[in-house]
Amino acid sequence: MQWLDGFIQGILLGGLYAQYALGMALMFGVMRIVNISHGDLMILLALIGVSLSVSFGLGPFVLLLVLVPIAAAIGYVLQRGILNRVVSQDPLPSIIATFGLSIALQNAMQQIWSADTRSIPGGGIEQASWQIGTIFIGVLPVIVLIVATALTGGIDALLRFTKFGRALRASAADVEAAALTGVNPQAVYAWATALAVGILGFAAVFQGLRSTVAPSDGPAQLIYAFEAVIIGGMGSIWGAFLGSMVLGVSQAIGFRINPGFGILAGHLVFLAVLAFRPQGIFGRS
Amino acid sequence: MTMSINIPGGLPRARVRSQTVSGIVAMIIGIGLLAALVAMPWWAGQGTIRSVVELCCYIAIAQMWNLLAGYGGLVSVGQQAFSGVAAYMMFALAQNMGVNPFVAVPLCLIAPAILAVPTYALLHRLDGPYFAIGTWVVAEVVRLLTTNFSYVNAGAGMSLRVMTQYSAHERAIGVTILCALMLLVTVGGTYWLLRSRYGLALTAMRDNPVSAASQGVNVSRLRFLLFVAGAVGTGLAGAIYFMAQLRITPDSAYGPQWATVAIFIVMIGGIGSIEGVLIGSFIYFFADRWFGEYGATYLVVLGVLTLLVALFARGGVWSLVNKLVDAPWFPTRRVLVSGGGQ
Repeated sequence: MQWLDGFIQGILLGGLYAQYALGMALMFGVMRIVNISHGDLMILLALIGVSLSVSFGLGPFVLLLVLVPIAAAIGYVLQRGILNRVVSQDPLPSIIATFGLSIALQNAMQQIWSADTRSIPGGGIEQASWQIGTIFIGVLPVIVLIVATALTGGIDALLRFTKFGRALRASAADVEAAALTGVNPQAVYAWATALAVGILGFAAVFQGLRSTVAPSDGPAQLIYAFEAVIIGGMGSIWGAFLGSMVLGVSQAIGFRINPGFGILAGHLVFLAVLAFRPQGIFGRS
Repeated sequence: MTMSINIPGGLPRARVRSQTVSGIVAMIIGIGLLAALVAMPWWAGQGTIRSVVELCCYIAIAQMWNLLAGYGGLVSVGQQAFSGVAAYMMFALAQNMGVNPFVAVPLCLIAPAILAVPTYALLHRLDGPYFAIGTWVVAEVVRLLTTNFSYVNAGAGMSLRVMTQYSAHERAIGVTILCALMLLVTVGGTYWLLRSRYGLALTAMRDNPVSAASQGVNVSRLRFLLFVAGAVGTGLAGAIYFMAQLRITPDSAYGPQWATVAIFIVMIGGIGSIEGVLIGSFIYFFADRWFGEYGATYLVVLGVLTLLVALFARGGVWSLVNKLVDAPWFPTRRVLVSGGGQ
């Protein structure tokens, strides 16, 4: 029974990881860059969320309505101000620029919010749960999973069926050819990053509600997002979603084997996927 | 220094110059500085020696990162896996197995070399930026394994108590000699490598890997060898750094601050050049001394500077110097003096 419980909790944890991983898969798919400050931006948004909810007494759902537009705006500015200058075939400039940004963000957050761990008050929803047999299923983790599924489906539909999605896919396939057909890649990139960081707004609120956040937590979240994307298979939105489930289940099962083994189990599954199925579990070779 | 090259096909002999006056002056100064480093226990205090050892380790780690990122196109943010594993191996050899600690330093390099092989085999499948984060995962894996490994005292870390058998003066002599050897291997070795025929291949690969491959450079093999060499060099710096510290914990050994330091030094100084690493190391060393007390604010400035260099001045300080004067300290260019056709 504890293994079934581990599996279910892992799927629910995967819902949170999917919200980190979606934005990363989107940005890499479109621009071939990885934003090293991805996790730090999520923590920044969560801390802004903590301050907003404490100062104005916002409930979690109002907070989402406020924070997601802030997140999207941050993403848009990030792309226009920094990332558009470093998108190139050479991976070095984008890695270095976002690595520098990550260091600066982590330490700036430590100055503003101190190194303490904090969480967003949820008004009781964070403790509510359903009991099925001997297994407890939290209401909040189920909401997180539903939101993650909806976001994944929404992005997938956006990419498939809208004009913006076509422009994104065209820029990803061949940026120069896309520009010839009237797509403005700089603008498309800016909206893609706005979308990616906007999703982090959801992740930030849920992370803050489910557990705690501290300024130094960003790199771990970056690594989880990255592992989910690789496990699932690069370049696929649903792959990132399913990779997040695999990662969540690996960590939850590992944690039940030995509390010191949880995070490590996730890393080992990631390395095993790299060794035996480098295109990812759901990727095509 | 010029050398003659026989060109097949009946063309006249080409004379190629590959050394400059500035290079010779720099080499004499370099040898002088190395001699001064080895003589430090007789003229400098303990505090100065500790600082200089730290500086030497920064230079070595940054130079190895430069070799990978600047020439191999292998951007890693997880080199702490190798410095940490080498340092831990040295502690285990010296403290648990009774090997002489100064002998343990070269012996422990087997650990990063062995770790580098499967790491590269797994990660080379990942695209540029994903390779970088992959190295970070490997460093995290090694950190977590160490934290759970009771043989090296798990998360509590180890102290190098065997060093108490030596006096402070003897320890200083051992560590400064090791530092001099480390600089010879990492900086001198890179210089030698770049001046050898592999240097041409590396420079070609730095400028454009695809066209280098089309000219007969075995890019994937060269990258693998660079990665292993980089791991061993970084490991040597880690072993010496923690020998001077006398204490190691998983968090200090595998912390991301190592990657931060290496990236900052190379980017500020100038990527793809040895001079850049030396300049960057001095800048970082003095910035750390003067502004380190500002803690988080100082690190914010460091991060923003790295970002700005990546955006606006990719060549760092050395490329700015190069625009003013052409006086390389480590000349690796080959200049045709005469011959070689019309």
